[in-house]
Amino acid sequence: MFRQTRQGTAILRRAVARNGKHLWTGTALAGLYQLCAALVPVLIGVIVDRAVGRGDWGALATWIGVLVLVYLVLALSYRFGARHLQRAIAEEGHQLRVEVAAKILHPRGLRTDQRSGDLLTVTTTDAEYTSYFLDHIPRITSSFIAASVSAVTLLVISRPLGLIVLIATPIVLATLNLTAPLIARRVAEQQNQAGKATSLATDLVTGLRPLRGIEGQDAAAERYRTVSRRSLAATVRASRTQNAYQGVSSMLSMLLAGGIAITAGWFALTGRITIGQFITVIGSAQFLIEPFGVLAVVPSWVATARASADRVAAVTQAGHLLGKGTKTFSSTAYELRLDAVSHGPLRGLDLHVRPGEFVGVVAHRPADAEALVRLLAVPETYDGEILLNGERLETVDRDEARRRLHVEPHQTDLFTGTLAANIDLRGGDRLDDALRAAAVDFHEEGLGALVTERGTNLSGGQRQRLALARALHARPPLLVLHHPTTAVDAVTEQSIADGIRELRRGPSYATVVITSSPALLAAADRVVVIGDGAVTAEGRHADLSENDETYRRAVLR
Amino acid sequence: MILPVATPRATRAWVGRDLRGRRLETALALLTGMIAAAASIAPAYALGLLVDRISAGGDTGAIVPIAVVIVIAAAVGGAATGLAGFLIGRLGSRILADLRESTVATALRLPPLVLDRAGRGDLLSRVSADIAAIDRAVKEVLPGMISAILLAGLTLIAMAGIDWRLGLAGAVAVPLYVIALRWYLPRAAPSYAEERVAVAARSQLFVEGMQGLPTVHAYRLEDRQLDGITAASGRARDISINVFGFYTRFVGRINRAELAGLGAVLVAGFLLVRGNLVSVGEVSAAALLFHRLFGPVTLLMATFDRAQDAGASLARLVGVLGMDIERRTTVTAPAGRDLALDDVTFAYGSEPVLSGVSLRVGPGERVALVGSTGAGKTTAASLAAGILKPSQGYVTVGGVPVAELPPQTIAIVSQETHVFAGPLAEDLRLARPTASDDEVAEALKRVGALGWALALPDGIGTVVGDGGHQLTASQAQQLALARVVLQDPPVVVLDEATAEAGSEGARDLEHAATAALEGRTALLVAHRLTQAASADRVIVMEHGKIVEDGPHADLVAAGGRYAQLWTAWSSRA
Repeated sequence: MFRQTRQGTAILRRAVARNGKHLWTGTALAGLYQLCAALVPVLIGVIVDRAVGRGDWGALATWIGVLVLVYLVLALSYRFGARHLQRAIAEEGHQLRVEVAAKILHPRGLRTDQRSGDLLTVTTTDAEYTSYFLDHIPRITSSFIAASVSAVTLLVISRPLGLIVLIATPIVLATLNLTAPLIARRVAEQQNQAGKATSLATDLVTGLRPLRGIEGQDAAAERYRTVSRRSLAATVRASRTQNAYQGVSSMLSMLLAGGIAITAGWFALTGRITIGQFITVIGSAQFLIEPFGVLAVVPSWVATARASADRVAAVTQAGHLLGKGTKTFSSTAYELRLDAVSHGPLRGLDLHVRPGEFVGVVAHRPADAEALVRLLAVPETYDGEILLNGERLETVDRDEARRRLHVEPHQTDLFTGTLAANIDLRGGDRLDDALRAAAVDFHEEGLGALVTERGTNLSGGQRQRLALARALHARPPLLVLHHPTTAVDAVTEQSIADGIRELRRGPSYATVVITSSPALLAAADRVVVIGDGAVTAEGRHADLSENDETYRRAVLR
Repeated sequence: MILPVATPRATRAWVGRDLRGRRLETALALLTGMIAAAASIAPAYALGLLVDRISAGGDTGAIVPIAVVIVIAAAVGGAATGLAGFLIGRLGSRILADLRESTVATALRLPPLVLDRAGRGDLLSRVSADIAAIDRAVKEVLPGMISAILLAGLTLIAMAGIDWRLGLAGAVAVPLYVIALRWYLPRAAPSYAEERVAVAARSQLFVEGMQGLPTVHAYRLEDRQLDGITAASGRARDISINVFGFYTRFVGRINRAELAGLGAVLVAGFLLVRGNLVSVGEVSAAALLFHRLFGPVTLLMATFDRAQDAGASLARLVGVLGMDIERRTTVTAPAGRDLALDDVTFAYGSEPVLSGVSLRVGPGERVALVGSTGAGKTTAASLAAGILKPSQGYVTVGGVPVAELPPQTIAIVSQETHVFAGPLAEDLRLARPTASDDEVAEALKRVGALGWALALPDGIGTVVGDGGHQLTASQAQQLALARVVLQDPPVVVLDEATAEAGSEGARDLEHAATAALEGRTALLVAHRLTQAASADRVIVMEHGKIVEDGPHADLVAAGGRYAQLWTAWSSRA
C-alpha cells in the first residue's frame, strides 16, 4: 500500500519535472492573470472615488487608461498562460497513455490481475486525471497570489478589517468543506445509477433481435423504466444535497462579504477609511471568496490525481510474465517436443511434432486444450519440458519463438483496416493460396471492405475463416490451430481440411490442429488423444474411429 | 438510410409541450430563481446607498437598515439559490427521464427491417451517448445557465432602475458577448467534432489492442499497434491543443466585452454624477453589480457549446420518438397451431430471394429446412416468424396472418445470440417477467443448462453478459432455448441455432433444441443434417424454391438432392 502511494507520487513528480518549461511559464502567467483580476475591483473603487466622486476628467482618463492596461495584461496572460498549461497537460496525458499501452502490449506479457476493462480505464481516464495534476499547480499558485493581493489590500486599508477577513474566510470555507465527502458520495451514487441506465439501454438494443424473437420488448422497456426511475431518484437525491450545500455556501459567502462591507461601512461612517477605500473593500471581499474556495477544494483534487497516478504506476511498474529469452535459430525445419508437461489441468503431457507432420489433437476436456494452447503461447511456470528444436521454449527470444511457433488464438480479433490488411498482417505474397485453403470466399472488392466495430459485422463463420487464412498466410514453420472450424458448415470444413493439408505440405512446415472435426482429423498424419491431462491414445483417425469407442463418441457426429 | 433527426422547430415543440404539462413546476422553478437573483442584487444596491450616506457624512445609525437588508438578503438569497438549483435540476431530470424511457421503448419496438437499413450503431449511440450528453448537460450546465441568465437580466434591470442610462451603458457589453459567441461557436463545433473523432479513433486502437492482445502477440504486432496508438494519441493531443487555442481567444473576446461594459458604466456614471442626475453611491452600486456578473456570464458563455451539443442530442432523440413502431392493428385468435406459407414470394430490392414457396407445418410437427447457402432458408424462417413481410402470398398460423396474431404466439431463435447483462435469472425473465425461480430453474433443466448454471459462482443469480461472467457460445444458445421454454409459445422458428457451438457442443444443443421444441409446431433451419434426420419431415430448398419435401428416410431412399447431401455428410463421419 505504502509502496504504491510512493510510486504514484513519483509519477506526479516526474510529470512536473518533464513538463517544466510549459508548466512554470504557464503558472507564472496564470498568477499574473489572477493578479490582474484581483486588481479590477480595486480599480473600480479608485475610479469611483478619484474620478466619479470628484468629477475629475484627468483622473477619469488616467484611471480608465490603467483599467484598460490591466485588462490587456489580464487577457494576454490568460491566453498565453492557458496555452502553455494546456500543452503541458495534453503532452503529459499523451506520454502516460503511450507508456501504459507499451507496457500492456509488451511481448513478455504483463503480470497483473486487472481485467482488460480495468486496464483500459488506466490508459484513458487515469492517464488523463494524472495529467490534470499539472492544472492543479497553477490554480493553487494563482489562488495564493489572488488571496494575498486581496488580503494585503485590505490590511493596508485597515488592519482590523484585513484580520477579520483573513481569519473568518478560511473558517467559513473549512466548515463548508466538511460536507464534501457526503456530496462526493451522493454524486458518485448518481453517476453509478446513470451509468447503469446507459449500459442497460446499450445492452437491450444490442440484443434487440433475440429480444424481439421472444417478444420480450415490453418486459425490456419496463426493466429500463425501473432503472431509469432509480437513476432519477439518485439524481434528485444528489441534487438535494448539492443544492443544500450550494444554498448554505452562498448564504455564508454573502454573510461574510456583507459582514465585511458592514464593518467597512461603519469604519467609513466613523471616518476611519475613505469612501474610495470603502468601495475597494467591498469589491475585494467579494473577490476573495473565489480563490479561498479553490484552496479549500484543492486537497480533494490532488487526492484524485494521486489515486490515478497510483493506478498508472501499478501498471508501469508491474513485472513481466516471461523472462528475457535469448536463444535464436537458423534452421529451416522445426520440431516441437513436450515432455511430461504439467500445468493447470495437464498432468505429464507428452507430445512430439516432427518437421513436416500434420498432427491432430483431440482433447476430451476443453480445459486441457486451452491449457496446452496457452502454454505454447505464453510458456510460463510449468513442470516438464517444452522444447523448440531442443531449446526450452521460455529461453528462446520471444520474437524468434513467435516467428517459429505460431499459435492462432481461438477467439478471432480483427483490427481497424481492410479485410485484406487483416489477413495479410505482416505482408507477404501468394495471399490467394491462403484464402483458397481457408475457404474465404470474398471476391476482390469484398477484401477491400473496412472492418467495422472490430468485425462485429461479420458472421462467426466468416471471422473464423479469416483467422485461419491469416494464420496460413503467415506460413510459420510450426502452426498450432485451436478448433479452427467450429463455426463452419460440413462442406466447407472438408474443403478447409484439404486446403490446410495441401498448403502445409513439405518438411519445412509442421501443423498441430486441436479439433474434434472428423474432416480435419482424417486429413492429419496422426491423431493424439488427450484425456485427463495426458495422452490416452494415438494413431490414425481411421484406425482410432474403428477400434476406439470413446474416440468414436468424441469425434463422430 | 439513417435514423431521423427532429427539426429545431419539432424539438422546440416537444420541449414546449412537455413544459406545458409541468406548468406549475416550471413556474415555481423560475420564480425561485428570480428571488435568488434579486436577493443577490439587493446587498450591492444597499451598499450603494451606504456610499451616499457616507459621502453626505451621515451618522453611524445609517448602518442599521443597510445591515438588516444585507442579512435578510443573505438568508433569503441562500435559501432561494439552493431551492432554485434543486427545482431547475429536478425539472430537467424529470423531463429527461421521460424522454429516455420513451426513446428506449420506441427503439425496442422499431421494425427490424428499419433497423437493418439504418444500422444499429446509430440507434446505440442515441440511447447511450446522446442520453448521457443530455444528462450531463442537465446536471452540470442547465442550472448554472438559467441562474446566470436570470441574474444578468435582473442586474441590467436594476442598473436601469438606478438610471436608464446606466442600464444602457452596461448593455453595451451584450452585443460584444454575442459577437464573441458568433465568432467562437462556428469554429469550436467542427474542432470539437474533430477532437471527438480523434479520441474515438484512439480508444478504438486501445480497445482492439487490449482485447486482441493474444492476436497482437501471436503475429508480433505490438510495435505496429503501439505506433498506431502513439500516432492516434498524438493526433488527439494536437487537436485538443488547437481547439483550446480557439477557446483562449474566445475568452479574450469575453474580457473585451467585460471591459467595454465596465468602462461604459463608469464613464456614464461620471457624466451622470457631473450632471447631478445620479449619486456617487448609485454609480458604485451599478459598477459593483456589473462586476459581479463577470463570473456567471463567463460560465454561461463557456458552457454554451455544451448546451448546443445537448440540443443536437435532444433533436436526435426526438427524431426517434417520431418513428413508426411495430404494432398490431387487429388481433385475431388463431383457429389452430399449424404454420403455413402460402405461395410466398420475397425480394430484396428487385432480386427475388423466394418465389412461390408454399409449405405447411402441422400442429406439433417438427420440420427441418435444408439447403446450401443462399437457398433462402433464413429468409423463409424470417417470413414465418413475421420479421419480414412477403411481397406476395400469405404467412398464417391457424389461418390468421402472422401480423394479426395475439402476442406470444411465435418465437424465433436466430443465430445471433445475446446474453443480457445482469443476473442469469433476469435474462430468462425477459421471456416471462412473472416467472418464479423454480420456473426459471425448470426451463434451464429442460434444455440441459441447469447443471452448469448452478455451478456458476452465484447460481442462477450470477451476473452474466457484458461486464459479468462470460458464457460460452453454446451456453448462450442454451439460454436462448430456455427463454423459449419459459415463454412457451405454440409455434417456434429455429434458425441455425447450433452452428456456432462446435461439434461437441452441437450435440448437446441438438438435445436442448429437441427438448425445447417438444409439443410445439416447429420450423427449423438445419445446418447439421443430424438435425434434419431427427425431424418429422425435411424440406429441401434450392435457389429460393422448394425442391424436395418428405420424411428423412423417404428422401434418402428417393436418391434425390437430399440423398446426395446425406451421403456426403455421413461419409465424413
